[in-house]
Amino acid sequence: MMQNPLPLFIAIPLASAFLNSLLGKRIKGFSDVLSSIATLALAAISIYSVFLIKDVGSIVYKVGGWMPPIGIAMVMDSLTVFMLVTINVVAFLISVYSINYMEKYTEKGIFYSLFLLMIAGMNGVIISGDMFNLYVFLEIAAISSYALVAFGTEQEELEASFKYAVMGSLASSFILLGIVFLYSYTSTLNMADMAMTLLTNGPSRIVLLASVLFLMGFGLKSALVPFHAWLPDAHPSAPAPISAMLSGVLIKSLGVYAMVRIFFSVLGATPEILSILMVIGSLSIVIGACLALGQWDFKRLLAYSSINQIGYVILGISLGTPLGILGGLFHLLNHSVFKSLLFLNSGAVEYSTGTRDLQKMGGLREKMPVTALTSLVGSMSIAGVPPFNGFWSKLIIIVACVQSGHFVHASWAVLASIITLAYFLKVQKHAFFGELKEGLSNVKEAPFFMKFSMIVLAIICLAGGLLMLPAVSGDFLKAARDVVLAGQDYITVVFGAIK
Amino acid sequence: MLLQPILISILAGAFILVAPKKIRKIVEGFSLATSIYLFLACIRIFIKSPINGGFLYVDGLSRFIVLGIGFFGALVTLYSLRFMASYTQFRSYYANIIWTIGLSMLAASSNNMIVLLTAWGFLGLTLYMLINVAGPNAANTSKKTFIIIGGSDSLMIMGFALVWLITGDLNLSNIKIVIDNSLSFWAFLLIAIGAFAKAGAMPFHTWIPDTAKEAPVPVTAFLPASLDKLLGIYLLARLVMNVFILNSSTQALLMAIGAITIVAAVMMALVQHDFKRLLGYHAVSQVGYMVLGLGTGNPIGIAGGLFHMLNNALYKTSLFLSGGNVQYKTKTSDLDSLGGLGKVMPISFFSALIAALAISGVPPLNGFFSKWMVYQGVIEKGKSGGVLWIFCLVAAMFGSGLTLASFIKFIHAIFLGKAKGERRAASDERRNEVSLSMWLPPLILAVLCIVFGIFASLIPLKYLIVPALADNLDFIGSWPSAKAALFLLIGLGVGLLVYLAGNFKGVRETDPYIGGEEVEEKMRLSGTEFYGTIKELPFIRAFYKKAEKKLFDIYEIAKKFIFVFIRIFQYLHNGVLPTYLVWCLLGIIVFLFVLVR
Repeated sequence: MMQNPLPLFIAIPLASAFLNSLLGKRIKGFSDVLSSIATLALAAISIYSVFLIKDVGSIVYKVGGWMPPIGIAMVMDSLTVFMLVTINVVAFLISVYSINYMEKYTEKGIFYSLFLLMIAGMNGVIISGDMFNLYVFLEIAAISSYALVAFGTEQEELEASFKYAVMGSLASSFILLGIVFLYSYTSTLNMADMAMTLLTNGPSRIVLLASVLFLMGFGLKSALVPFHAWLPDAHPSAPAPISAMLSGVLIKSLGVYAMVRIFFSVLGATPEILSILMVIGSLSIVIGACLALGQWDFKRLLAYSSINQIGYVILGISLGTPLGILGGLFHLLNHSVFKSLLFLNSGAVEYSTGTRDLQKMGGLREKMPVTALTSLVGSMSIAGVPPFNGFWSKLIIIVACVQSGHFVHASWAVLASIITLAYFLKVQKHAFFGELKEGLSNVKEAPFFMKFSMIVLAIICLAGGLLMLPAVSGDFLKAARDVVLAGQDYITVVFGAIK
Repeated sequence: MLLQPILISILAGAFILVAPKKIRKIVEGFSLATSIYLFLACIRIFIKSPINGGFLYVDGLSRFIVLGIGFFGALVTLYSLRFMASYTQFRSYYANIIWTIGLSMLAASSNNMIVLLTAWGFLGLTLYMLINVAGPNAANTSKKTFIIIGGSDSLMIMGFALVWLITGDLNLSNIKIVIDNSLSFWAFLLIAIGAFAKAGAMPFHTWIPDTAKEAPVPVTAFLPASLDKLLGIYLLARLVMNVFILNSSTQALLMAIGAITIVAAVMMALVQHDFKRLLGYHAVSQVGYMVLGLGTGNPIGIAGGLFHMLNNALYKTSLFLSGGNVQYKTKTSDLDSLGGLGKVMPISFFSALIAALAISGVPPLNGFFSKWMVYQGVIEKGKSGGVLWIFCLVAAMFGSGLTLASFIKFIHAIFLGKAKGERRAASDERRNEVSLSMWLPPLILAVLCIVFGIFASLIPLKYLIVPALADNLDFIGSWPSAKAALFLLIGLGVGLLVYLAGNFKGVRETDPYIGGEEVEEKMRLSGTEFYGTIKELPFIRAFYKKAEKKLFDIYEIAKKFIFVFIRIFQYLHNGVLPTYLVWCLLGIIVFLFVLVR
């Protein structure tokens, strides 16, 4: 099994979700332990896969032993592993955090089942080598996230979940439509096979139409302007660990990863598509930053900030240059770390003070030192202050923009990073520094497991810069970049690995 | 050898941060020991330079900056032991001070642009944390400061990216860019903005007066007054001397910024009521001389700018620390409620007086000498034609006069004059000076001001400034400082003799006679009313009004500007689902139009 860990990424979370709903209610604490162990196992296997991939190269798993392109394929290359590590490590920490945090909700068991189902869906999207399966897993992840957003079942949460579900299904149906068009044109669903057919058949308007549908669908999933409007409602409404999950990894696996995989590896990224992505990336950067600055709700501010940061990721990747893609992917990784951290911080503050309104907080530094310090680390990372990880990825993205001559996009990125700094300093000032507000004098620090997750994430933020070192980045970050750069060489990689 | 002290500073800072709160004395002692170690390391680097260590490179310019960093670091740490004794956030304070010293050394000695950016950016964070040590009230100031500093760092990233695009090289020592097109000009300007914001040249200066007011005095004395000047002007000097070859319009831009900074900031300083704010505006005003000197582009001007930077660090730190002593004793920094402290705190008075004379450019002190060099640089520049230099020269001299004027106010209001009420005067006939660790640092600095002034050519210029330049210095008008000082002393001595020999001994001191009435509180001349009339001058009044409303504050302007956009965006996000669906539709139509057409 360890020679080919691919099915485990889906089997473990699916099986644990099933077991959990079966036994979770009967045995006290079972859900907590099961979920943490399952996600820890996933994180460990994903990190193991980094070394596995380095030794044996890309791996293809044939579901049921059927040969692709007839049978279903799961593919693991460096980009997949990169995403798997990002998702599963963050998911593990969030799961640990939930042990304490979810105490205040009644149905903890259901929460964990949905949570694990969502992880199964995300992992599935990432390792799927088949268009239709990608869609199926995408829907699994999306539908469980609709349910999780509504988990509080208050009016606000239900409204947000409804909006999210409508727009999410719109995106899904556009994606499905795109897949249908491609299927009708190429008569295959296997991604590598499809790419090959597209290469031999040459360009066609139907592919362009499918591209537009994918741009819109995945753009909506990754919350790029102008398809972003669901996110500021949906992400803050969910319980804090789920907000962290949604902003931290869901929009990246369902949105950015799927978009990158399809456009770079299957369809081939044409300059027109890249320039569209660049423009909507820049728009997201600026609009997200401005809206975040105007927010007083801690979690809504973070949600807008996700739009802003996803813009950086897309801008970097859409430059299409080695440096740009490296910066984009690195920022993707970093963003999932610090945005999860910040959402967990906001959760800890809400857990202790009962409010999300920045104007009602203040002076929490004395009362909640761990939360304050970790949120400072998170804020500095996202604002791009050295030596934290966000600095390096923003640096690379800006330099890459300049290198490829996109001065206008570079200046947007720079200006928005100033605004980013401004709104995170606003958070710091109003929540943690400043005067202690009335009624907050009895506030206590968050419990152990919440502190644990926040501290680990903060340490990753601090150490993330080390990924810049050539010795470390070679097999992980650069390898993932090379997969994106190689584009439709995906075909040879997949067919090479089948034999 | 270069990396070792920097790494030690980082580790020591981390240790201080996590040390238990109970061992405060040990933490303080450890911090002092670390800062002294760093100072010794800086001396060693200074002696051993030039050192070429790959990423790090110490040449004639950076070596005396490194020396200055270590020197001020040790002095301020010594001073903090007593001053910061009442602050609870002492771990954060000492950790950040030690980090600041180490990372400033890294910034000054880095040759690689990325290393420079990293160190530079992290210094913004330490400054932010240091201001926050002051407590809840400083939260607003620290935020503003960090937005300006951090924002300028982002612009610097862009500037360095442009430099890299132009040259393809990351090592500053290999780069020589002629400014002849808009790309190279922008590269220069964006990096220079980082230097301006750090040093506090207009229009990026607005954080300095606020920080001076809110932050603990040692922080102000260390960062905006000395270290940030050293670093900011160092970077600008590096750009002007090595990395770029400036064309005349860029030089003119620098000179204009310098001249405006000098005059505008000193005008603001004149009317302040809080001595920390007053000193803060002077910290801005003095940057003008440095930028002006560097902007001239000739050796004498650049040397003058660098020397002025060094001198400014000396006397400004001395002023802030003496002011800190006053605040420590009286618990106020409001000029209105101070007065008559000269007799109570003689050593602080002496240090402050010397430093105030030095900053005002009174010969034979160091401030005079460096200003004199800057003037010569401007005149030298004037030989190549144009009229800008005349304005710059007038502004510089005018500013110098106004500086003296505002320091008369400063000295009068704090050390001379009469205290408000009789709070201190009656019982405190005995000397009530602060403790040794607090009066020694400003005194050392004041003595250095005298030494650097009298022996300017012999010591500082010879060992510190001239090795930093590629060319030799040519003075247009020579100022034999030692001889001049001798004559001045003789003059003073003769005056004293006349005073003693004459019949002046029998002078009687008495309260002013006002027709037999008691001298009332309201008749006290506190000094804050000095120059009140300037504010009422017809044309200038409008400017002061606007400045008080912060209409010239780049931070406030940018804030207003951005919030206009935010309102528009917020209006569009009305929370109605169909609206959002319409956006999606519009988006897809645009995509279809662009791609499929």
